[in-house]
Amino acid sequence: MEEAITVAPEAPPPLPPALPPTIGPTRTEYPFEFGGNAREYFRIWVVNLALSIVTLGIYSAWAKVRTERYFYGNTTLAGVPFEYLAKPWPILKGRIIAVILFGSYVLAGQFSIKLQLAAAGAIALLTPWLIVRGAAFRARYSSWRGLTFRFVPDYAEAYVRYLLLGIPMVLSLGLMYPFVKAKQKAFFVEHHRYGGRWFTFRATPGQFYPPYLIAGAVIVAWMFVVSILAGVIAAMFIGPTHAAPPAWFIYAFVVPVYGGYFAIWAFLAAALANIVYNNADLGQHRFRSTLKGHRLLWIYVGNTLAILVSVGFLIPWAKVRLARYRAESLRVLAAGDLADFRTESKDDVGAAAAEMDGLFDIDIGL
Amino acid sequence: MSDRFAGTFFDGISGHAHAVELRRVGLSHYALEGEGIQRGGKLVDLSITPRLARVARTIEFADGARLLLADDPAIDAWFAQRGRLEATVDRLERHAHAIAAAAIVCVATLVAGAQWGLPWLADRIAEQIPPAAERSLGDQVLGSLDRLGLGASTLDADRRNVLAARFAKLAKLAQGAPGGADYRVEFRNAPGIGANAFALPGGTVVVTDQLVNLLGDDREFDAVVAHEIGHQQHRHAIRQTLRTSFVAIVAAFFAGDVSSASAVVVAIPTFLLDNHYSRAFEEEADSYAFDLLARHDESPHWFAEAMRLLESQHPDRRRGREPAYLSSHPATFDRIDEAEAAARAFAAAHPDLCPAGVCPGEGDSDEETECEDCDDDDASPGSNDSQSLSCDKSTDI
Repeated sequence: MEEAITVAPEAPPPLPPALPPTIGPTRTEYPFEFGGNAREYFRIWVVNLALSIVTLGIYSAWAKVRTERYFYGNTTLAGVPFEYLAKPWPILKGRIIAVILFGSYVLAGQFSIKLQLAAAGAIALLTPWLIVRGAAFRARYSSWRGLTFRFVPDYAEAYVRYLLLGIPMVLSLGLMYPFVKAKQKAFFVEHHRYGGRWFTFRATPGQFYPPYLIAGAVIVAWMFVVSILAGVIAAMFIGPTHAAPPAWFIYAFVVPVYGGYFAIWAFLAAALANIVYNNADLGQHRFRSTLKGHRLLWIYVGNTLAILVSVGFLIPWAKVRLARYRAESLRVLAAGDLADFRTESKDDVGAAAAEMDGLFDIDIGL
Repeated sequence: MSDRFAGTFFDGISGHAHAVELRRVGLSHYALEGEGIQRGGKLVDLSITPRLARVARTIEFADGARLLLADDPAIDAWFAQRGRLEATVDRLERHAHAIAAAAIVCVATLVAGAQWGLPWLADRIAEQIPPAAERSLGDQVLGSLDRLGLGASTLDADRRNVLAARFAKLAKLAQGAPGGADYRVEFRNAPGIGANAFALPGGTVVVTDQLVNLLGDDREFDAVVAHEIGHQQHRHAIRQTLRTSFVAIVAAFFAGDVSSASAVVVAIPTFLLDNHYSRAFEEEADSYAFDLLARHDESPHWFAEAMRLLESQHPDRRRGREPAYLSSHPATFDRIDEAEAAARAFAAAHPDLCPAGVCPGEGDSDEETECEDCDDDDASPGSNDSQSLSCDKSTDI
């Protein structure tokens, strides 16, 4: 509950121009819309990939900008597209730094395990900082209505939520995991600003528990069912001869187990994303996310199969399909005019952290 | 060529949109007019985002204001010589031949990566695995195999000791080569698997009772274990496992999920049973075996004999049935031919052992005499291919 009313860590935000103190403001729904299509994005994707290969990765910075611009530019809210403003050169510099860091980590392993552990520890220590810099970079270069987003760094808090909270989480044998996740999401939401207003977060850590507990219970039940089924089938087909089960049997056992994890994960991801968006406010505006676990699962399964069957050539189709569903599941419940935003004071944020996040695959998706 | 564009203007200070019209004045100036907006200036002070599919173009003003225009290539004539790199890329993206060429580059890279890059990387990782870890991996695999249906050997202890001693001689001869791991042989009864031998990671060679019973001459046993020692010398078990599960391992590494990397341990027994060494690995192990046998003063001919016996177990695998390059195993007949060629070379190099090019025990298969329990190694002639086993599983040898 204490998260719901976090005081801004910096100077109070510029007040929005004279909003009437309404108790139950009438809200207008504005859906997010994604207008991209797979055919178009395939062309961008395949040229990006080929040029990145031919230039030994240098072009990948330009490729990233074109990809982001395509997805931002095709996502519209209230008829106005988003814009991705980052330039390739800072991204390239960031990637070079990230490759050097990662290379030294790998190289450290050539000399001694201790050195590599030290490198891994250093990267772990850097992680909260990287998360903050990455969020700041992305916010700074995300624009709508000619106004950029902003992520206000608070490193001390980032270290508490992304590193220190790991200690009680481990000590509680993971029982505090939903609590820690809630704290991290709250941190991420509440340090964002747009158009002169703070994002606020109403969700309490308690709201994160039911999805995780249900997911855990379903996993246990599923494992139970699969084990029994496997036992029965093994007894039926193999009999008491103690012969080796055929290889397909082992795969036939592994597939439903991992398939079950995958399905549970899709439902959990949908539930968590809904909690985060439905409890995030921007000023008086609210969001409504209606992601459905079964639809997300359907999309993930279809995407995975399509990508495997097409040896990767349907990746653009898969990405577009997911982006479209995500957009159509999200809307803004606007209290008043959506144009009623003011500019921020701008801080420049280096790109290196954003790119290092990408290489070390720290997923902090809101 | 159009010289007017309708667009949406944002002043960069508030979020209010203004419907405006952008007009060119002369060659180098512009004018912007619309709802409460009146601007003008030089085109060189403006910048424009590069063209990308149908994404709206944005003209950026020096003061942070932005003008969004629907995609229209005509606007680029106003900003000649800007963003030439991205303009070129945009043209490629709209050109069917360029798309085809890009797709070919991607496919070629994918194929080359799978053909050479992936095995190379897997081998570099294999080099990093300490022998102790490989050994314990091998022990885990043996444990899994035992659970999957390998039973304690039913051969009598004397017989096993004799064969183990023969294995030890060959293993000793193989030492000194890189690795120099201490090799050991394990006998297992495996009615469900049949005549087979596996090289586990870390130096253990598993030989099934069914194989021992199938082979007549102990020099055939030597030939088979020499082949398995060849797999050991080249660390084929761990290398092949890494190659086949490389994608899973990389995915696990980047997903940070180390536990799923342990799925590799689960994968190895199935891989061994499924008979998936690459052609190159089998050929490497074969030629190592020929060399080791020759150093042991035994003819590679015995490898050919062992292969013939094993071949007799798979009546459906015949020469020419499948093109060699499609098969994961070099066609058995090719391997027998290779072994016989090596045997001729051996005979030529050892006139003392093989007078008139015929080494002891070699000869027409018609003349073969039966000798089931040949403890007297070098003198025992012939081989026994009259053994009949109901097993028709494929073999890893």
